[in-house]
Amino acid sequence: MYESTTIAAISTPPGEGGIGIVRISGAEALTIGAKILRHPSGKTIATWPERQVRLGIVVDQAGEPVDEVIYFYFRAPRSYTGEDVLEIQGHGGYQNLKKILTSILQAGARLAEPGEFTKRAFLNGRLDLTQAEAVIDLIRARTDLAQKVALKQLQGRLAQVIKEQEEKLLALLVPIEAALDFPEDEVPDLQRARALDEVSKVRRRLEQLLAQAERGIILRDAATVVIAGRPNVGKSSLLNQLLGEERAIVTPIPGTTRDFVAEIVDLEGVPVRLIDTAGVRQIDDPVEKAGVEKARQLMDGADLILAIFDAATPLTPEDHELIRFLSGKPALIILNKTDLPVKVRLEPLWAAFPQAHFLSVSALTGAGIGELKALVRQELIGTEGLEEQPVLVTRVRHKDAIAEALELLALVQQGLEEEWSEDLLAVNLRAALQALGQISGRSVSEEIINEIFAQFCIGK
Amino acid sequence: MREKYDVAVIGAGHAGCEAANATAKMGFKTLLLTINFNNIAFMPCNPSVGGPGKSHLVREVDALGGLIGRNTDRAHIQMRALNTQKGPAVRALRAQTDKHLYQQYMQQYLEMQPLITIRQGEVVALDRVKDLWRLTLSTGITFDVPAVVIATGTFLRGRVHIGPLSFPSGPQGQHPANALAEYLEAQGIKFKRFKTGTPARVRRRSLNFDAMIEQPGDCLSHGFSHWLPWNPRQPVSCWLTYTNEKTHAIIRNNLHLAPMYCGAITGIGTRYCPAIENKVVNFPERDRHQVFIEPEGLNTDEMYIAGLSSSLPEEIQDQFIRTVPGLEAVEIVRPGYAIEYDVIAPEQLQNNLAIRGWPGVFSAGQINGTSGYEEAAAQGIIAGINAGLYLKGEEPFTLGRNEAYIGVLIDDLVTKENNEPYRVMTSRAEFRLSLRQDNADLRLTEYGYRFKLITAEEYDCFQKKRQRIEKKLNYFNEHYITPGSAQAWRLKELTGVEVKQKTSLKQLLRMPQIQIADLWAIIDPAQEAPLEDEVVENFIKYEGYLEREAKMAARLAKMEEKKIPPDFDYSVVPNLSFEAREKLEKRRPATLGQAGRISGVSPADLSTLLIWISRSSKS
Repeated sequence: MYESTTIAAISTPPGEGGIGIVRISGAEALTIGAKILRHPSGKTIATWPERQVRLGIVVDQAGEPVDEVIYFYFRAPRSYTGEDVLEIQGHGGYQNLKKILTSILQAGARLAEPGEFTKRAFLNGRLDLTQAEAVIDLIRARTDLAQKVALKQLQGRLAQVIKEQEEKLLALLVPIEAALDFPEDEVPDLQRARALDEVSKVRRRLEQLLAQAERGIILRDAATVVIAGRPNVGKSSLLNQLLGEERAIVTPIPGTTRDFVAEIVDLEGVPVRLIDTAGVRQIDDPVEKAGVEKARQLMDGADLILAIFDAATPLTPEDHELIRFLSGKPALIILNKTDLPVKVRLEPLWAAFPQAHFLSVSALTGAGIGELKALVRQELIGTEGLEEQPVLVTRVRHKDAIAEALELLALVQQGLEEEWSEDLLAVNLRAALQALGQISGRSVSEEIINEIFAQFCIGK
Repeated sequence: MREKYDVAVIGAGHAGCEAANATAKMGFKTLLLTINFNNIAFMPCNPSVGGPGKSHLVREVDALGGLIGRNTDRAHIQMRALNTQKGPAVRALRAQTDKHLYQQYMQQYLEMQPLITIRQGEVVALDRVKDLWRLTLSTGITFDVPAVVIATGTFLRGRVHIGPLSFPSGPQGQHPANALAEYLEAQGIKFKRFKTGTPARVRRRSLNFDAMIEQPGDCLSHGFSHWLPWNPRQPVSCWLTYTNEKTHAIIRNNLHLAPMYCGAITGIGTRYCPAIENKVVNFPERDRHQVFIEPEGLNTDEMYIAGLSSSLPEEIQDQFIRTVPGLEAVEIVRPGYAIEYDVIAPEQLQNNLAIRGWPGVFSAGQINGTSGYEEAAAQGIIAGINAGLYLKGEEPFTLGRNEAYIGVLIDDLVTKENNEPYRVMTSRAEFRLSLRQDNADLRLTEYGYRFKLITAEEYDCFQKKRQRIEKKLNYFNEHYITPGSAQAWRLKELTGVEVKQKTSLKQLLRMPQIQIADLWAIIDPAQEAPLEDEVVENFIKYEGYLEREAKMAARLAKMEEKKIPPDFDYSVVPNLSFEAREKLEKRRPATLGQAGRISGVSPADLSTLLIWISRSSKS
């Protein structure tokens, strides 16, 4: 909602384009900027000229560099939102932008609500009135979408686990509150040792969730995987195999894939945005040429590139160009058309990709596709099976909420150990419940009162 | 030609008295009407004031210049400090009062106010005549006034139940106000039915106190009031005893005679003040329940038996009371009963306690669906102030949830669905550490002075106190104890804390082992002043929490600043959910903050609303 806090979010759709934009808006924008941005020389930044492109380095909490970026400062009210805005353009991969965003959030910004930048822009008079209805529709649509996603998640295991922790905390809080509000009624005294035990149990569970959160966030937001290769090497056929249905137009004529095909697909439980690119080759057709340029940008921003080579023909100059381009990027080397006699020489590939996995497939017969899926998943989230990760925190907002609850529960624990007064225990427990309520959507204040009367015989 | 009045207050209970005092202090000629002149500030239920939350309200009303605190201090016969070890947020006072003295002092005080006229009369009609409201009494005479405060308590269509017996009645055998309720309903006011109850009163000389546990009062250095010099009385004891299985068996065997269980009562009762029937039914595993025996006053033999509220037939009440140790030979003075009455459906209330669509008419107290003398007084003073502001043509006065329990109370009343008479609780307040008893004047006295409910002398006294507190806060910031000094030695002796490096008094006071009194003892015993020191100490010890609450409050304030026009047309706003639109149209919240607290209004609805309000205010 409309607040005075400073907000931040990734403003470009995940994985698309060579650069990605992270935007910070609010009174604290520069304070936060000063914490996370450094000169390329490593010095702190003291002056913020308005509307000028500057080169800088984003650092994390420990001061370690995260990414080389360019940034712009827009002074209020001459910015999109009408507030102080700092716009940071980093390298486009989702992982990378997420790291930049994490630094910003750790420096004190709050993750923006869907549509919040637009809303602030409107409230600060940066959009004219005729745009109001469009804005409303936008916010409504985005919030509804977010709610649908949240709802889906809430029906899942995370909701269950959060609910269990809420119940435990509520069970602790209710007798404390009852004793505070009804000191002359018969409410049993607080058993500090038992309470301590319960609080540590809840903390341990939440800490587990937090530790898993990093990976969970990838799971939800879909990693970007780009399929690259020279024309007619079988990219679209491979995409179709991965999608399990005919999507891209597959023809033997080079250059038929003019538009990029992006599909979200569930690869062994990992949501992946699969992008098929036009072949990388130099020709004079301007449409094709633009496509090639775009393809390169996409590969720059990808979390993983599936580089496809034709096993049935020797490497072409176009293949060599791709090999040069991919050097140093996260790639999986796929040899397609292994249903035909192998004619390709592998040595140049081995030399160029000493670290990469190699895999033989046939996009035509489907051979090797299962292995490919498993390998993609492993590259993206590691080797541990999802079965060992029964609950995953999949949104930055949820992660923040859990972290906040943990901080408050640490206070409760300290309070129990050091015999703080009950009002402080109640205040901190309640705040922790409120933090978890940001995930569960549960508001406990009425529930606490109901429980007091249900559990204790109150009343003179 | 009869006297002309600026404002009429209907009802002289705890809400009405505060309202009349407020309008009179603001300079308005006030007519205070009571259905029975003998029953001004009558306490129809227990003879006690305060407790957690309630005590906070009393302190707040007092800080604003109200009457309940002063009057309780004067009429108290026992005072106890509650929750003394549970932290500053929940510390509370509870007083036993002499009911008759309470009424006598209140009546005396009001009669001395030159701008207040008290008059006995039952209002039977309230009509709009030109720009005025015409009150018609049952005797036929009329008064035309520009502003009215309705504070009729449980009198509107009151109906008392004692077993199968039921009859129209106000509390404790008083005349009910049926005509007014019917009249208002015919004019479009919507009512709902609530229920409350009270236990029997018994004769002191019939009780055996040897079988009970004595509950003496505390010797305290202060009462409720910020302004009245504290004059403690020789405390009178209360007594504790318990029900047992025999009591419960009698109640269980006669449930069919209880109006709550045989369907005679349709009104909704309270959970925090349940009848003994409810306790026995809802908590069958409990083999006993507490019974507190409280004197109704110094000069009466009547005793209140807290915990045995009942609407069973008098014969059954007599039977089960006798099973309680110490009450075996009980003589009932008057039986317990349940009372049903009309309350104004809350969607008609605005947060300045004005009734929507009735310009200049306000309501306060139990008629608004609350319970308790303290809750009534809190609304009374706010309704009175707002009636005064209305007469002056000034902006309404409301208190935020972060400013006062009064704010929490009224905001809850106008935004939440209350299915029982509302009682304040500390757990209802989000800003608990900020809303303490000890800083009520720091929070509210400026307002009281602005509205002239606080006199110049009182304000002067307050300002001096505030300055002393600021001075002390600075002193603690700027003074240090150095290792090896005599002060450091004494501190170790007193508290066990060893000063290892130069430490400010403020840092020392943050330690749980150190109390402010310890520091004064070491540094300057002459500076010790418990009442102010409590404020200083809480401010320093809980600074982190206070800052957290202040931040939360600032966020809330942003939403509260966004006013929704009273005539805002929700039907033109696209995209509001059906439920939200329905609730918003019914409740008509004054601000976006309030809208957000209405159940069923989602964040998306709020965003939509925010934009449309900004839009309509710009165009």
